[in-house]
Amino acid sequence: MTFMSFESSSSFMDLIAREQKSVGLPMPGPMHQGGMSQNIDTHSTTVIAVKYDGGIINVADRRATAGYSVMYDQAEKVLPLDDHTLISISGSFAKSVEVVRFLRHTFKYFERSQLQPMSLEGKLMELQRVIANNVPAALQGIGAFIPVLSTFDPEINQGRIYFYDGMGGQFETAEYGAAGSGSAPIRGAFEYILRTKGPFRDMDRLTALKETLTLLEIAADLDTATGGSSKHLPAAKFITLAGIQDFTDAEILEALGR
Amino acid sequence: MPSYSPYEWNESIQQRNEYIEDRLHEGSPVVASTYAGGLLVVSLRQQQRKVYEIYDRLMFSAIGNHSDIEQIRVGAIDSAHAEGFNRSPEDVSVQRLVSFRISPAIKKVYSDPFAQPVVFKGVFLELGKTPDRDLIVTVGYDGEFATSEKNAAVAGTSFAEDEIRKHLEASPVTENLESALATCIEAWGIGKHHLSERDKPEMEKAADPIAAGRSVVTTHLKDGWHIEAGVLERDTNKESRFRLLTANEISKSSESFA
Repeated sequence: MTFMSFESSSSFMDLIAREQKSVGLPMPGPMHQGGMSQNIDTHSTTVIAVKYDGGIINVADRRATAGYSVMYDQAEKVLPLDDHTLISISGSFAKSVEVVRFLRHTFKYFERSQLQPMSLEGKLMELQRVIANNVPAALQGIGAFIPVLSTFDPEINQGRIYFYDGMGGQFETAEYGAAGSGSAPIRGAFEYILRTKGPFRDMDRLTALKETLTLLEIAADLDTATGGSSKHLPAAKFITLAGIQDFTDAEILEALGR
Repeated sequence: MPSYSPYEWNESIQQRNEYIEDRLHEGSPVVASTYAGGLLVVSLRQQQRKVYEIYDRLMFSAIGNHSDIEQIRVGAIDSAHAEGFNRSPEDVSVQRLVSFRISPAIKKVYSDPFAQPVVFKGVFLELGKTPDRDLIVTVGYDGEFATSEKNAAVAGTSFAEDEIRKHLEASPVTENLESALATCIEAWGIGKHHLSERDKPEMEKAADPIAAGRSVVTTHLKDGWHIEAGVLERDTNKESRFRLLTANEISKSSESFA
């Protein structure tokens, strides 16, 4: 059977490569020479993930910028990859959305074709590979992106948070993860909360949301590329064993003290 | 390539049909139907799995050689994912998948006298955004396909398929999942019963085909066969609309067959 005589594998990247229709996806390729003076840390936004006593909270501002211009103030930067995994994106919005589409297809393709879900380690490896493959583009200043990945691990009945560097280096964190240009100015505030109010993972859901949104508001005050909550409410989702849910507007408003 | 006279070509096709139908004859029928919450596909099996997810709103089941079923399943998954990624998940439809990929590929093999024919009959189901857009497509070993909106069946003989459909039409499956599943299991028994019934003399045929069908189910369950059922659910918060029913869900509908 001609069309069915594929070199079938579990890799969605292989499938797309065979189809030769990939556009814009970080695929392994030669490093281009020249024009590599850009800083790989350019990733305007603020996304935050923290653990709480029942799972993980993800919040993000809604601002999308280009240089000094605000392009859009309703961007969705907290995106589901599967029923128990959220990716919060910072950096090039176009590249991030493409990567999210790729990862969603990759995870589902593996599960549907191999008849078993991809392991957490497998999913993390896919994300690391995509970030690493994107290094040449990031160095040229055309599409750096750095995510925070949150997932609820049913094997240990606990949320897990991973953050990344621009080369694809992966770090698991015990309490919180943050990315984007607004994350650096508030790093000390995370530590202040941990030392004065205790670990995030011991807080209930709404207390942790309140602390997290306060941090996001501080980031918006200190970083021009991070939007505040006055025009549009920030994105806020949480993951538990039951799956991913949105915080209601009422919960977000209450956490913001309005 | 040797040339064929029309007579020889006819003979060759007939022999292929006999070869395939002989091998399909004892296959465990597959029953597909709509129900209030989406689409349901049911079969009984010994070891090999029979119900599969293809894409976000697509599922599949079949009878035949497992290696042939597997090739078609993986081919459908590859096509659907490549299309869904390169264009949009909304553009992946059972109509396009079967008309332009699956059916031509099977037809090509079927028409080639030097190729091993595919021993396969399958059913593809697509969950519409609204119930009136649900679609069920059956595909034969010669690549021919037929569409249905409410129910369909694939079995070792077209006579058995007709009897399954007659039973489903007579007891419309529009209620809840539990009763829909019970009706489909009963229809499976009727189909299995009729695989050998047509060739019997009139006086040896069962007076009550429904009771005979239920008895066939009971016998198979006692012999260690398992009921396998998959659904595409219209109202769900989960990423995937497909799921295999749990043993607990199945036992509620199958206990009357024990």
